[in-house]
Amino acid sequence: MAAQDAPVCQIISFHDSKTSPDPFFELSPQCLNPTPAPIVIDNGSFQTRAGWATSAAELSSLLLQFRSVAARSRGAARSETQIGNDIPNLEPLRWLLKSQFDRNVVVNFEIQELIFDYIFTHLGINSEGSVKHPIVLTEAPCNPLHCRQMMSELLFECYSVPYVSYGVDGLYSFYHNNAQRKQQPPHTGIILSSGYHCSHILPVINSRLDAVNCKRVNVAGSQASSYLQRLLQLKYPGHLSSITLSRMEELLHEHSYTAVDYHEEMEKWRSPEFYEREVHRMQLSFSGKLPSGCVTAEERQERRAQQLRRLQEINARRREERLQQDQERLDRLLAVQELWEDGLLDQFHRSLVELNMDSAEELQSYIKKLQLAVEQGRQKLLHSDGVEGKTEGLEFEQPMDEGDGVALMDSDFFEDMLPQKSNMAQPSFNMAEYHQLFVGTERLRCPEILFQPSLIGEEQMGLMETLQYVLARYTPEQQEALVSNVFLTGGNIQYPGMKERIERELLAMRPFQSHFKVTMASRPALDAWYGARDWALEHPPGEALEGWISRQDYEEKGGEYLSEHCASNIFIPMKIAKPVPARSAEPSVTAQTSTGASAAITTVTSSLDASSASLSADVTMVTS
Amino acid sequence: FNSTVENKIIFKWHYGGPPATESTAKPPPFKDHTFLHSGIGGAAAGKKNRTWKNLKQLLVLERALPWKLDDPNYYNIDAPPSLKPAKKYSDISGLPANYTDPQTKLRFTSPDEFSYIRLLPSDVVTGYLTLRKATCIVP
Repeated sequence: MAAQDAPVCQIISFHDSKTSPDPFFELSPQCLNPTPAPIVIDNGSFQTRAGWATSAAELSSLLLQFRSVAARSRGAARSETQIGNDIPNLEPLRWLLKSQFDRNVVVNFEIQELIFDYIFTHLGINSEGSVKHPIVLTEAPCNPLHCRQMMSELLFECYSVPYVSYGVDGLYSFYHNNAQRKQQPPHTGIILSSGYHCSHILPVINSRLDAVNCKRVNVAGSQASSYLQRLLQLKYPGHLSSITLSRMEELLHEHSYTAVDYHEEMEKWRSPEFYEREVHRMQLSFSGKLPSGCVTAEERQERRAQQLRRLQEINARRREERLQQDQERLDRLLAVQELWEDGLLDQFHRSLVELNMDSAEELQSYIKKLQLAVEQGRQKLLHSDGVEGKTEGLEFEQPMDEGDGVALMDSDFFEDMLPQKSNMAQPSFNMAEYHQLFVGTERLRCPEILFQPSLIGEEQMGLMETLQYVLARYTPEQQEALVSNVFLTGGNIQYPGMKERIERELLAMRPFQSHFKVTMASRPALDAWYGARDWALEHPPGEALEGWISRQDYEEKGGEYLSEHCASNIFIPMKIAKPVPARSAEPSVTAQTSTGASAAITTVTSSLDASSASLSADVTMVTS
Repeated sequence: FNSTVENKIIFKWHYGGPPATESTAKPPPFKDHTFLHSGIGGAAAGKKNRTWKNLKQLLVLERALPWKLDDPNYYNIDAPPSLKPAKKYSDISGLPANYTDPQTKLRFTSPDEFSYIRLLPSDVVTGYLTLRKATCIVP
């Protein structure tokens, strides 16, 4: 009664695709004349995408696309770190993998430096001492000021870039798609952007991000991957090492979908026929090891006999010890009784108190009990290999059986456990099926965590509930305007059925017969890069400088300065203390930042003091 | 994930140029070699303080700045906890669950799932509970 009788039976194997190293491109002359062309980098926590912003046709698409990780084999020197597509396969067991991101914010700038080196080298830049091209970079919505300061410092001081522009990836994607659909600015709409670590709700009013009402849900692609991995590892404890994160990502990208109505869809999965049709059986490669419960019958008996013998030995030893102890105690008590018989009443009473007993009768009864126990013990020792051993062994058999072969009767698990049940009869079983992972309802549950974070224990609101919360902060007219342009973007949005699900939930939460429109980005994962490129082409750095930060701006206004534009965060001027750099040979830079910080040590308290001192003392940003 | 880049073929590129000299010997020419990140701790800290601050520490610093009530910052835009009660799903199959096992605290939908749960080893049980963040806090 194998499941392969059914005609529709999907046995799929993992692709386990390997990455190939990126080529080294040559710097084409269009990137240098008439002015150096901007480099557009979409710095994502999952992937980094880089390319040029020129009007040349052959450079109009992405050149580099790689995972944002730096890998080093354990024990290797720090200089042998490999980045992105140089890493043959991303198995965390073989490499020490590090990313510059913590959630969706860059915190480790050494790795960021390595990634920039990789990008610039592969793009063919070989100018001495500086990168002469302006850089367009993406950052997190409401990026912490300290992170922007560090990033600007890295770009301006290490690479001496002439201009830098920061923007939010969801907004660039929105900008690109609105232009493609020929919608006239100013654009108003609400963006649902779901990436690798977080998902954002970004309302945009008149082409500017309404940052006060943005919200972020900390559930996205990486949580879905690890949830899927844990689910499968718990279901198949024998295949722990074959269930890797990259395979989970493959399952999510290719085999998962979002239900339009979660409850209804789940009820469908109850029926065995539906399960048979829809379960995806992932075939793993053969591994020599057998499952623990599938050993041959003789081996099991041998093991059981061994365990019995061991247990018997332990029991016998314990019994002997107990017997000895009882014997000693009995002797002591008999001695005390003799005291009483001999008439030494004082000593007798004293020893009674020591023994914690009140009267002679108690002593007597205790002695009788002990004598009985000692006799029984002696008898047991004589019969140690007899009846007692067998009964104790039997007691231990039942839990062993239950632990070994997990016998299941549910139709959902019938196929999984078939090999182990048949093992009771004969040693051979269906090896192919043992090495298959049955991915059934997991295909549905993992994308669902975006809408119901309580599935993984998160207390936050799901994506649509947060959308409702954000909409409720606007007037009804504003709500109408926002909802008429709901835009979906981001890599985690690409599950089949996502758009229909969002439309359905929006229908449920909007007033009766009100209008709304949901559009998905044309290329949800890549549109951020294309949007940034479009923006860079339409707003070249120069005299206008809207959206660009020049070297001078950086030195005057500090690293946390942001020049706002239609796809950027909101900048709230606030002076933060710049930590003292290690070298002391750069007085010009340190003197121009907050005045109180020049002698500060980089500890939390002193930086707080410095920032408050500088705020109270010096509001205008005049250099000394 | 596939990382093919379609545009490679269209215009010329070459291997073997920079990479041979690149590797560990020669650092790339376009950067300043004496640059040191200021966020990593001053010279006084030296070898001791080479770690970067993680997000939690940065947020602590960020919250201490003089924000006004309405200013958006990284901490403010976190979504609030849910107002709707959580729906209960079976830990094993994900189907809507009406019952909870009092001994292991796992949720299940049918008697077959219940017998499966009762036969699970304790580490798998704890694994399912941790997925839901429902493990017992009391040691």
